Amino acid sequence: MLPLRLLWRNWRSGEVRILAGALILAVAVVSCISMFTDRLDTALTAQSHTFLGADRVVRSSQPRPPEWQPLADKYQLGTATTIRFNSMVYSGDNMHLASVKAVSAAYPLLGELTISEQPFATDPEKISVAAGGPPAGQAWVDSRLLPLLDVSLGEEVVVGEKPLTITRVIIDEPDRGSNFSAFGARLMMNESDLAATRVIQPGSRVRYSWLLSGPENTLRSMLAELKPLLSPHERIVDVESAQQGLAKTLDTGRKFLMLSAMISVLLAGVAIAIAARRFAQRHVDQVALMKSLGAGCNKIRRLYAVQLLVLSLAASLIGLLLGSGLQALVAASVSSLFPVQLAAPGWTSLLPGLLTGIVCLVFFVAPPLWHLPTVPPIKILRRELAVSSVHYYWQAFLGLLAMIFLVVLFSRDWWLSGSIVLAIIALLVLVAAFATLLLGLGRQLGRRAGSVWRLALSGLQRNAQQSVVQMMVFGLAIMLLLSLTSLRTTLLEDWQLQLPSGTPNHFLMNIATDEVPQITAMMAQRDLEPQHMFPMVRGRLTHINGQEPTDEIRQRAEMLRREVNLSWTDTMSSDNKIVAGDWWDGWHERGVYGVSVEEQTAQDLGLELGDDLQFSLGGLRLEARVASIRSLKWDSMNPNFFFLLSPGALDDFSPTYLTSVYLPPEQKLFINQLLGAFPTVVVIEMDRVIAQIQAIVAQVSAGVELMLWLVVLGGFFVMWAAVSASMESRMQEAALLRALGSSRQRLLGSLWIEFSLLGFFSGVMAAVGAEILLLSIQYWVLDIPLRFHWQVWLLGIAGSALLIGLLGVISCRKVIHTPPGRMLREIA
Amino acid sequence: MLQAQALTKRVTTAAGTLTILSEVSLQVSAGDSLAITGASGSGKSTLLGILAGLDQPSSGSVILHQHDLTALSEEKRARVRAEHVGFVFQSFQLLPGLTALENVMMPLELHGVDNARGKAEFFLTRVGLNDRLQHYPQQLSGGEQQRVAIARAFASEPDILFADEPTGNLDSTTGAHVIDLLFELNREHNTTLVLVTHEQRLAERCRQRVSLEGGKVVERRPCEAA
Repeated sequence: MLPLRLLWRNWRSGEVRILAGALILAVAVVSCISMFTDRLDTALTAQSHTFLGADRVVRSSQPRPPEWQPLADKYQLGTATTIRFNSMVYSGDNMHLASVKAVSAAYPLLGELTISEQPFATDPEKISVAAGGPPAGQAWVDSRLLPLLDVSLGEEVVVGEKPLTITRVIIDEPDRGSNFSAFGARLMMNESDLAATRVIQPGSRVRYSWLLSGPENTLRSMLAELKPLLSPHERIVDVESAQQGLAKTLDTGRKFLMLSAMISVLLAGVAIAIAARRFAQRHVDQVALMKSLGAGCNKIRRLYAVQLLVLSLAASLIGLLLGSGLQALVAASVSSLFPVQLAAPGWTSLLPGLLTGIVCLVFFVAPPLWHLPTVPPIKILRRELAVSSVHYYWQAFLGLLAMIFLVVLFSRDWWLSGSIVLAIIALLVLVAAFATLLLGLGRQLGRRAGSVWRLALSGLQRNAQQSVVQMMVFGLAIMLLLSLTSLRTTLLEDWQLQLPSGTPNHFLMNIATDEVPQITAMMAQRDLEPQHMFPMVRGRLTHINGQEPTDEIRQRAEMLRREVNLSWTDTMSSDNKIVAGDWWDGWHERGVYGVSVEEQTAQDLGLELGDDLQFSLGGLRLEARVASIRSLKWDSMNPNFFFLLSPGALDDFSPTYLTSVYLPPEQKLFINQLLGAFPTVVVIEMDRVIAQIQAIVAQVSAGVELMLWLVVLGGFFVMWAAVSASMESRMQEAALLRALGSSRQRLLGSLWIEFSLLGFFSGVMAAVGAEILLLSIQYWVLDIPLRFHWQVWLLGIAGSALLIGLLGVISCRKVIHTPPGRMLREIA
Repeated sequence: MLQAQALTKRVTTAAGTLTILSEVSLQVSAGDSLAITGASGSGKSTLLGILAGLDQPSSGSVILHQHDLTALSEEKRARVRAEHVGFVFQSFQLLPGLTALENVMMPLELHGVDNARGKAEFFLTRVGLNDRLQHYPQQLSGGEQQRVAIARAFASEPDILFADEPTGNLDSTTGAHVIDLLFELNREHNTTLVLVTHEQRLAERCRQRVSLEGGKVVERRPCEAA
């Protein structure tokens, strides 16, 4: 019980409070972040799975073999089926090539199928969530199908040979997707009515999807069994492959949160190391006394080991409780912003916090205390005797080892870990070198400077080793804070740029040449601003360099099996980028049309610049030479094309036009009017999909923002610990100076200067380190364009000088306001 | 009780080897008292440290209560100190975070003594601090702090007590009170006393006196007052 009594006395006397505080903070922040990320992750994954309508989908062009179902049943997975194809639907004399989707009763497995009895409804009260797909004999349709067929709810439409009653309009379906493969309006029907339509014949283009949902592990086991049974026509689709743009956003968000967790551990680790070192220094006398009283080395080691173990356990426990309380608070505030149900945190999310506590104890607390039991007992008589203590270098090295361990453990990303470790090593070396240099310079300057400056500079030099160590700590903390803040700004901007408000959310297709001016005028009347009108002709690529594509290429490039949209334009969209060749202004081959090919398509088809392509457009031939290869952003919601031809190439082929427009919710009925006036125009509604993506991005952003603040808190804690560690000797000096008649102003001035200088130098180092870290993270980890960060330099240098100057003065205020006699007596 | 034979202590410094003690021999019987005197830097504290087993000599031997300290490891010397030795220091060496009572309890707790609290209270009362049990060192005067240190030293009932300049940080009146207390307790508990001092008055109250100069014994005599 003696160690516990000693621990209690140490606690009471304030000896272990900073240590305990730093440990609690480390565990709390890590467990908060890991629990919150776990919950957010589960929620986001679930939400993004609603894009699929399931956790996984097996897509095929063939009906599902009957032996698959028992496999899903064996693993107790939820299953549903969708069968999609294009077919003409009729109502009287009106017809439309609709995108038909026959669904089983359990559809959708995830996400919500929302329906309404009012066409184009936007009022939430008029919209309800369907418990499953339409009952047999009924059809649910996109609102725009009603004006196209001139029917209302309750009336009949015919699909193939089967009449169906329209009972609801579809407002949103989860797996509609953002790649608009469905040009026609949606008609959803029950799977059991499908046979009666007699639409599906051998050779029909049909997409069968088998939807699966269940716990991740069970799914994986089941899919592992299923995979050997798949034919080349069948493939498994998960969220990432279905939604690449969104998957990247999620992945980046997750990485940022991880980075925040790591940085907070790093900061807390530094605070713990400082506090532990201070604890060790303050306990040298106590150990010497205990040894003179007959306590052996082993006994002392046991006494301290038990104290630290108990302290760490208690701190970790409190940290965990605090962390889980904090994350509950965060989750509550986030969920009030967004209508997303967060799952309860898994128990595994507690592990990182606990592990952090243990690692901090072993790598940060233990090393500075290691030598304590070897303090010679004679120290009690000879105060001047130097006591060996673990060197700063060793402590830094062990700390770095712990960092690498934790960083790798949390991120499981070697590039990210490498970037951080490299930046830290660079910073440490840089700080040490610069600090030595600057302190030397300070000595030169100090001789000439005024008395306040001389006092400040001599203060820095007297405590040279301490000043250098403080500079490293400040530098590290500021570097990490700067990097995180800047990264967050970059990410948020990047995400907002992906889908800014006002992003076109409706595509208008199949506009005839003579309809272009009328439709443009109609939109202008309602203050709608459509994007560029792209002419469009459907055609099939038949020959590459005079040869028919080989079977191998056909296998790779799905587009060879169908018609694709061809267009021409003289101005390239802003989200397109030439990666090889030149745009039309650099195209000088006379008598040959040029074609610009999308990057992935070019790769699939094995195309290079100068290759000749031949297209068949409704039986007519068009030849063009590859002039450039473009990269483009499919998720920008702008019209984009695999093949863009040079101006004039499509003049002889009577194109139709395609454009996109942003339609605010209150203008939704415009579609009805448009389709009434121009029944042949095809409208594709993307507003729901965009809103869904924006909600997810907003959620990740809120999480990112919040984590940043937690980490900033950790950063302040470290700096405070570093300032407190040196406070005793500074207070003694200041009290002595006061006793010798130094004025308050002068003392205050010199403290300001001393700490602001420390802050300034640390800020310079931190800015260099942060720039290195940011550039390497941008380049290797996040794969976003490299940008120079001038704010980092400004904020880093000016901000840290001000902040650390303030911290120092606030910490020393006691000595300024307490009579020097009392101060000296208290310190002695 | 204590026997030192030809103690020599040399240390290596940047300027070369420095001899702090040279061939010092002495003997103290049980219940006896010895004062080690000398000017600053004469080696008296070094000698005290070696006699108490806190430090090792470069050559020579120390026998304390039948234990040859120079042949023992630090762990074993610690055990000898725990069983037989008490200390009083010039700078009191009280732990600032502990109350007077806890400071006295600490060595008893370290050695697992039963009823550490009762014993500590008894000795604090004996040195006249029964109303200061819960005070922290910084709330006590210098004399009071040294009395706590004396209570701590006697509480573990040592056979031999080493005192390093016990009045060095006290004014003469307080110093005199502390000395009286020290010798009273010494008599009551029949403790052997070895103390380092440069105060004539204190040295004269011991039965033996050894004067050091430059690490060598220059004078050795029984005190007249003793």
